[in-house]
Formats: sequence, structure tokens, C-alpha cells
Amino acid sequence: MIEVKNLVKRYGNHTAVDNLSFTVDKGQVLGFLGPNGAGKSTTMNIITGYISATGGTVTVNGVDVYEEPEEVKKMIGYLPEFPPLYPDMTVTEYLNFVADIKKVNKAGKKQMIADIMESTRITPVSNRLIKHLSKGYKQRVGLAQAIMGYPELIILDEPTVGLDPKQIIEIRELIKELSKNHTVILSSHIMQEVSAVCDTVMIIDKGKLVLNERPIDLSTNLGNTGGMKLCVKGDRNIILDALERIERITNIVEHEPTTEGIMNLTVNCDENEDIREEVFYAMCDAKAPILEMQSIHLSLEDIFLKVTAGDGIGDLNLDGFQDKKEVSEAIDENHAEDVQNKSEENLVEEEDNSNAGDL
Amino acid sequence: MLAIYKKELRSYFTSMLGYVFIAFFLIIIGINFFYENLVNGYANFEYTITNVTFIFVLLVPILTMRLMAEENKQKTDQLLLTSPLSAGAIVVGKFLAVFTIFFLVVAVTLTYPLILKQFGNVPMPGAYASLLGFSMLGGAYLAIGLFISSLTESQMVAAVITFFTFLFTAFMDGIANVIPSNNKTAFIFFSVILIIICLILYFMMHNLIISVTIGLIGEIGLAVIYYVKPTLFDGLIIKVFNWISVISRFDSFQYSILDLSSIVYYISIIVLFLFLTIQVLKKKRWS
Repeated sequence: MIEVKNLVKRYGNHTAVDNLSFTVDKGQVLGFLGPNGAGKSTTMNIITGYISATGGTVTVNGVDVYEEPEEVKKMIGYLPEFPPLYPDMTVTEYLNFVADIKKVNKAGKKQMIADIMESTRITPVSNRLIKHLSKGYKQRVGLAQAIMGYPELIILDEPTVGLDPKQIIEIRELIKELSKNHTVILSSHIMQEVSAVCDTVMIIDKGKLVLNERPIDLSTNLGNTGGMKLCVKGDRNIILDALERIERITNIVEHEPTTEGIMNLTVNCDENEDIREEVFYAMCDAKAPILEMQSIHLSLEDIFLKVTAGDGIGDLNLDGFQDKKEVSEAIDENHAEDVQNKSEENLVEEEDNSNAGDL
Repeated sequence: MLAIYKKELRSYFTSMLGYVFIAFFLIIIGINFFYENLVNGYANFEYTITNVTFIFVLLVPILTMRLMAEENKQKTDQLLLTSPLSAGAIVVGKFLAVFTIFFLVVAVTLTYPLILKQFGNVPMPGAYASLLGFSMLGGAYLAIGLFISSLTESQMVAAVITFFTFLFTAFMDGIANVIPSNNKTAFIFFSVILIIICLILYFMMHNLIISVTIGLIGEIGLAVIYYVKPTLFDGLIIKVFNWISVISRFDSFQYSILDLSSIVYYISIIVLFLFLTIQVLKKKRWS
């Protein structure tokens, strides 16, 4: 449905989007993930035709955004970072106006507005002025605006910002509901959100694609650390002695005990090894009962940090990436660039901020 | 386009702005009408109209300042520019809305010559020709105001710049008369203008080569003309100033002349500035 090829966007010397390519199939929910200033909003703005790319192409349903922007805009509903609302209008007036500019059929307009207000739960505030609404309601009016006319493609830039937890769940439900009939792209820097609603996750950092995977694969492929947390009852020396005899354990970290006579430990081994059984029997022989045992899996959050950490890449254990050649390449590239640009980095970031204001 | 038009029109009447503009304008026209036609007893309504043209300088900035600047500030331009509307439809819709507000004033004023007619002989063609010119002049000012509003995010900045632009064009007549008309002054004047244009270009494009090239080519061109045919420069500044002076074109209407060239001039100004506004909107894509 959407095909993005070698997308580049430069602001002066600063590259906001750097050779980004991906495709989104019909009915898919794609999550854009990245730290602030990673180029998420810029990419979305380019897809919606709000700004142009420096290089590369974007096609939606085979129509090029650059060649026929108006055709593409008909197929897209867009909720930008700041919901574009007119504070002096009531919600109904506003949605009416949006329906008009999106050329919604006159006959079905009233019904559609009512339906959309119902599904975004803004019917109770339909006659209030937008400037009197709370942030959460404003966000939902913005969302209602994006789905007006039921476009094939819905692009949401951080749709749940400013909502309370209950509303966040409601909006996620709504997005799931929408994804049945629409293709959805959403951006976020909240991991749970992306893993809750998206089929595919794309992690972008400094305008580059770092990872493109299903959320489940992410945590199984990258989440393994080989470590585990242990809670063992017994004598300290005996336990440590028993553990040290297991050869595959690479290091043991002892934590402050919370209860007298119970040891809290973190045990590490190689990422691909499984030492749980061995540890169990060792403790068994030492007559030191294991009270708790928990494998340490990186949460999506940690993976996110791990993948996007600029300076931390050197410490990153790249073994896990070996089977994904392109990924490690992307990271290496990033890394090389980091080293080169380290001195310029601050300067560029400042420029980035000033540019972000312009968007 | 219709959606934008309706939205703009409504926003003028949901805020005080539309009412204030219309009321204030009508009061000014009313006072002048009372003074010129009723107290002084002139039958020519065009005198009244000519007297009130100065008020555009004050009132038009108030009306046009929010047109685009507010959208830029609220980021609602993002909604408009990602909707299937063309930039042309947005700009023309907005212009028509603001022109409608202004035309409401003219529509009320249309009745004044009829009122006068009850009391004697009134030169109707002259009166209505001046009203036609007045509408066109207003349209030209509104188009300039719309353009300036599209350049900024701040309504205040838009209003102030529009105000000074209008003030400048209003004084242009007077300035043109005192400027020496010899060709050397003209050469220096245009060279300075060229340098200013190149500086603006440089700040907008951050491209030294292009701006220097344009500057050099222009400067060489000016120098060649100056040495080969210096008479071309004679009185050129005055011509240019008069061309920019929107208000001086209204003079003929004052003498009950329906000056077609002025009408064409005003329409060209409207078209030019609407076109420029559309370009500003389109340029956003390339920022």
C-alpha cells in the first residue's frame, strides 16, 4: 500500500531522514518508534505531502506523493503532533468543516460525523468550544479529524500523548478497531503502546532505520540476555561455591539481601545458553532451596534503548545481531558516523531543535 | 474553497472582529458623508469616498492580520495543507471571505447616493464609479494584507508590517515628488535595491553563489544600460514609486472619471498578491 524508497530529508547540513526505505501492506498497523528528533514526524509529514523530501520517493497505492499530492491526500487521514484545531469552533462545527474540506459526500456527512464522534467518545462535548476542552478531549477531536471520511490510510503522530491511562486504553482499542478496515501508521516513543497495537515495529534513530520487526520477534530475538535472578535460602559460602562450580556461568553478582539468610543473586552466562536446570540441581545438591528464579529478558524498552543508544553502541553485545546482517550493518554505519561526528554532534542537534520548531 | 470561505466568514462573526470592522468603517464613512454631503452640501458622493480611503491603512491590517498568521500559529495550516484542497482554493477562499466582509460595508454605502437623491440632483455615475474604484482599492489592500499575513506566525507582526507597508505606499506620492529625477540618482537607487534583494535572497536560500551571481548580473546590466542609454533612467524612480503607490490610482475616481486602467491595475495587484500568497503556501513544502 505504501512504498517508501530511499527517503532523504535534509535541513541545511542536518539530515533528518537518511535513506529510509520500507513498505506497509494493506491492513497493517505499523509503529514508528524512536527517540525525539529521530525523524518520525518528518517522515510522516513527507508521506502526507506536508513537506517534500530532498530525495527518494513515496507512493501510496501506486500514486506518487510528489507527482499527484492531491490524489494522495484524499487517501490519507493525518493527526499531526499538535492536533490542528480551531479553538473558536465547537466540536461539531469543526468536524463539519473537516468533512467539507475532505470532500465527504453531503448525504452521508451527518451520519458519519455522529459515528465518528461516538467512536472517539466526544459526543458529550460536541457543542462545546474546542478551546474549553481538556488536552485529552482535544487529542480525541484531533483523532476524529484524522479518521473523517474514513481514508484508507490513517497516520497518527503520537496519538496518545496527554491522555490518562483509561483514555489511552480506549484510544488503543479504537486504533485496533480501525486497523480492521484501514492501514494505520502511528508513531510513539512509548514501547508498550507500540507492542500493544502494532503488527510491525520500525525503530528509527537519527533518520535511519535501525530495526523492522514484529514486536514478538523483537523480544525473543533481541531480548535474550542469558542472565537470571535468583533468590536462594542457605549459607552464603556454600551457595557461591556451588555456583562457581558451574563452568558456563560467566559472572555472579551478589545483591543486598532483603531477608536474613536469603541471598539475592544475578547470574550471567552466554546469551544462547540455558543454565536453569544446572543451577537447580547445583542448589539441590547444596541443600539450598531456590525460592525464586527468573530469567532476565530485555523488555522492549531495553531493546529500544539498546538499539538507539548513540554512545552506548560500543558496549552493545552484537552477537545477537549476527543473523541479521543488515541490522548490524546499520548499527555499524551509525557507529562510524557517531565517531566522526562526535564533535559536531551538539551543533547539529541544536540545529535540529530549531528546525523542529518550523515543522 | 467554499468550506474555507464559510469557515473564515463565520470566524469573523463569532469573534468581534467582523462587527468591529464594519461598524468602525461605517462610522467613518457616515461622519464624512454627514460633513461633506449634508453639512457642506456637495452633491458629489465621490468626495466622501475619497476622504475615507485613508482609513484602509488603519482598518485593513486588523482584518487581514489573522488570515494566515493564525493558521500558522495554531498549526492548522497542517490540516489544510494535508487535506485534498489545493493551495489556490485555500487562498482564494480566504480572500473572498475577507472581501465579503469589506463588501458588506460597500453594500451599505451603495444606498447613500440614493438617500442624497431625495434632496436634489446627484451625479450618479460618478458616485457609483467611485464606489467601484473603492471596492477595487479595498480588494488590492486586502490582497496585500493577506500576503503579509502568510509570511508570519504572529498576528501582531502581520498587522504592524501591513500597517507600515500601507503607510509607505500612501506617502509614496509625496516622496516621489521630492526625489531628484536625474539618471545618476536612479542608477545608485536601483543598485542599492538590487543589493538589498540579493541580501534577502541570501538569507532565504543560504546560497552565496546564486545571490552573488544574481547581484553581479543585475549590477552589470544596470551599468551597461547606464552607460549605453542613460536616458532610460530619467525619472525612473518616480515612475516606480508611482507604480507602487496603490492609493494615487484612486485620484481619477475623485474627479468622477471611471478610469479603466486603474481598475485593471487594482485587479492586477489582487491577482499578483494572491499568486504570491499561493507560492508562500506551496513553498512551505520545500522548507
